[in-house]
Amino acid sequence: MRRFLRLGAVVTAFGLTLAGCGSSTTEAPADGGGLGTAESPVSIRVIANDAFAKQWQDQLVPEFAKKHPNIKVTVDGVPYNDQLAKSMLELTSPTATYDVILGDDPWFPQLAKTGGLVDLKTDLAKFTDAGYAWDDFNPSPLAAGQWDGHQYGVPVRSNLLLMFYNRELYKKAKVAEPTSETTWEQYFADAPKLVQDTDGDGKPDAWAVGTYFTKDPLTPTIWQTVLNSNGGRLLDDDLKVSFDDDAGVKALQTQIDLLKYAPPGASTYQFNEPLEAFRQGKVATMFMWGSVYKGTAIDKATTTLSEDQVGITTLPAGSAGPGAHRGIWSAGVAKKSAHQAAAWTFLQWVTSKEGEQWVGANLGTFPARDSTLQGTPPAPWLKPVYEAITKGYEAISKGQMWRPRLPESDAVQQILALQTSRAMSGQAPAKDAVHQAAVDISALLKSKGYAQ
Amino acid sequence: MAPALVLLAGMLLYPIIYTVWVSLSDFDLSTFQPSGWVGWKNYEAVLADPGFLQSLKVTGVYLVVALPLQMVLGFGLAFLLNVEWRGRGLLRALFLIPMVVAPVVAGGVWRMLLDPLWGVVNYALGLVGVGPVEWIGDPTLAMVSLILIDTWRWTPFVVLIASAGIMALPSDVYEAARSDGANRWQTLRHVTVPLLVPVVAAAFVVRWLGAVKMFDIALAATKGGPGQATDVVNLYIYEKGFRGLEFGSASSMATVVLLITMIITYFLFRISRRLENRW
Repeated sequence: MRRFLRLGAVVTAFGLTLAGCGSSTTEAPADGGGLGTAESPVSIRVIANDAFAKQWQDQLVPEFAKKHPNIKVTVDGVPYNDQLAKSMLELTSPTATYDVILGDDPWFPQLAKTGGLVDLKTDLAKFTDAGYAWDDFNPSPLAAGQWDGHQYGVPVRSNLLLMFYNRELYKKAKVAEPTSETTWEQYFADAPKLVQDTDGDGKPDAWAVGTYFTKDPLTPTIWQTVLNSNGGRLLDDDLKVSFDDDAGVKALQTQIDLLKYAPPGASTYQFNEPLEAFRQGKVATMFMWGSVYKGTAIDKATTTLSEDQVGITTLPAGSAGPGAHRGIWSAGVAKKSAHQAAAWTFLQWVTSKEGEQWVGANLGTFPARDSTLQGTPPAPWLKPVYEAITKGYEAISKGQMWRPRLPESDAVQQILALQTSRAMSGQAPAKDAVHQAAVDISALLKSKGYAQ
Repeated sequence: MAPALVLLAGMLLYPIIYTVWVSLSDFDLSTFQPSGWVGWKNYEAVLADPGFLQSLKVTGVYLVVALPLQMVLGFGLAFLLNVEWRGRGLLRALFLIPMVVAPVVAGGVWRMLLDPLWGVVNYALGLVGVGPVEWIGDPTLAMVSLILIDTWRWTPFVVLIASAGIMALPSDVYEAARSDGANRWQTLRHVTVPLLVPVVAAAFVVRWLGAVKMFDIALAATKGGPGQATDVVNLYIYEKGFRGLEFGSASSMATVVLLITMIITYFLFRISRRLENRW
């Protein structure tokens, strides 16, 4: 008995020790930790997505170091699927491992809700350069880092869903190239002609479209965009489900119909497969994140296509206008960071007018500043891209084309992904899938205290 | 003894207790900690969640098909490898390859091999006029593919255990059977199989404990789709917890799965002991 009591005491002590680990927190110094000196440089860490973390470390950080040699930046890449949970854990832990937190578009409400991010406009105003022009940011990308009236993030990697098209395949099919005015009806009228036998062996070897079709939280963004471009929304202003109607069914059916003109096996397409199909000249159009443009049209190491073969514009228009979908990576500064001044200095440089020019020319990342979009692009190939982005930002603002701005955003996308996949694979008609998604999202939001 | 117990408590008990605690609480995302006590609320929601129940069903189908398939193939191949023939050593070594491939890599590579447009499997089928087959895109074939990939990966493990068991069989019993005039089938039926029952039972239990954790191959190959066709329960829990950030529900599901696994494992042990005693 005594042995058991002793064991119990040890386990309790162990548990209390573990619990105690979470009790103390560190506070950020009032001077923001300074910007370092040659003798005593400041080190900051950035948590980023592994898709571009290496590019940042190898190219962006050395460029920043030319301006600020006393701030040493380390960028850690995390797989996309793990990044949100890891960032949440980081922001709620007693001490800060990371000074800069990068988050995808729908994540900022969740990250901000932890209370672990500072308001960049107010909390860090004392460390902000006088020339840093907040007003110059396009409202669409800037809004991705906002929540509850605060600016927790600044856009570092602006992205949006656009339509890429292969000019040669359009020419071969004798179909007029799409523009921002092209409607979904016109697109579907042309789609059968874009399924072609280009080598004359009697079998189709080029198809009309490649995009997300598989079970993935990004797959529903295609029909969400269709819904938005027809004036519909997932949630209304009271955060009640508003897509369980004909408009919702029509939008999902549009994505299902795209599959008829996609290559064999396209129902499993995520990010890489449609990209490869487009880059190898197998599909005439691709609904994809614009950030892939450089690797698709310019970098010979990653594409078979050339700049003059690749066109880019907004997604086909619905009754309310053309479509696009916001996918902005924003970056915030951790409240518990001991080096807020250095962290914010790094972010200010990346998002400054000068930084955007360098990033656009060298990394192919899209700008968020109007002055960059309207000015002379740092490289000639960016001209049509900037035009498409400008139109995309307009469409996004007009149609509120983004994922739900809620801490439950990812849970909502999970539900949409499942029901979209059921509909895409023929396990449920579009009407049933839309209805089930609406029921599940409504139940989820109700369980989190939202009036439904 | 005490340090070992403390280590065990910290490494094994604490995560389980913490999971149960989270499952009975409301998980506060702003502190990333369990907050208010909600009793059985999460469990009630989970047991009424059609997605969770479907994932249990999917896991059941996978286990019922994959485990016997792997056992039969594993022991069959072990018998073949036990017979002296040229190249046996090389084949044995090759058999180990699937086991050392990371499951995520295996899932990803098979996904490429099975792709209707780029994959070599459909290319080969096309040569004989079949296809293209939607291995991953069709709900039924997606489960078939998942089982095939898992069988490719885990059959060698069964072969290894079975080979060790076969090689350890006492030769004097066979000599006795031969002198009694037993033919090959009789020897197999009345000598080999009864002697191998403990090995079969052990291999089955070990594979069961491995298979019930099925997650990474499904994540890499099918993402649980199409729909929920291959949404094994661990993948469903992972998505719920780490993508949907519904840690209360996910912990309740994990606890339910733990209980089910423990109960079935207990019965499997009892059955295996009974089989051992029978022979």
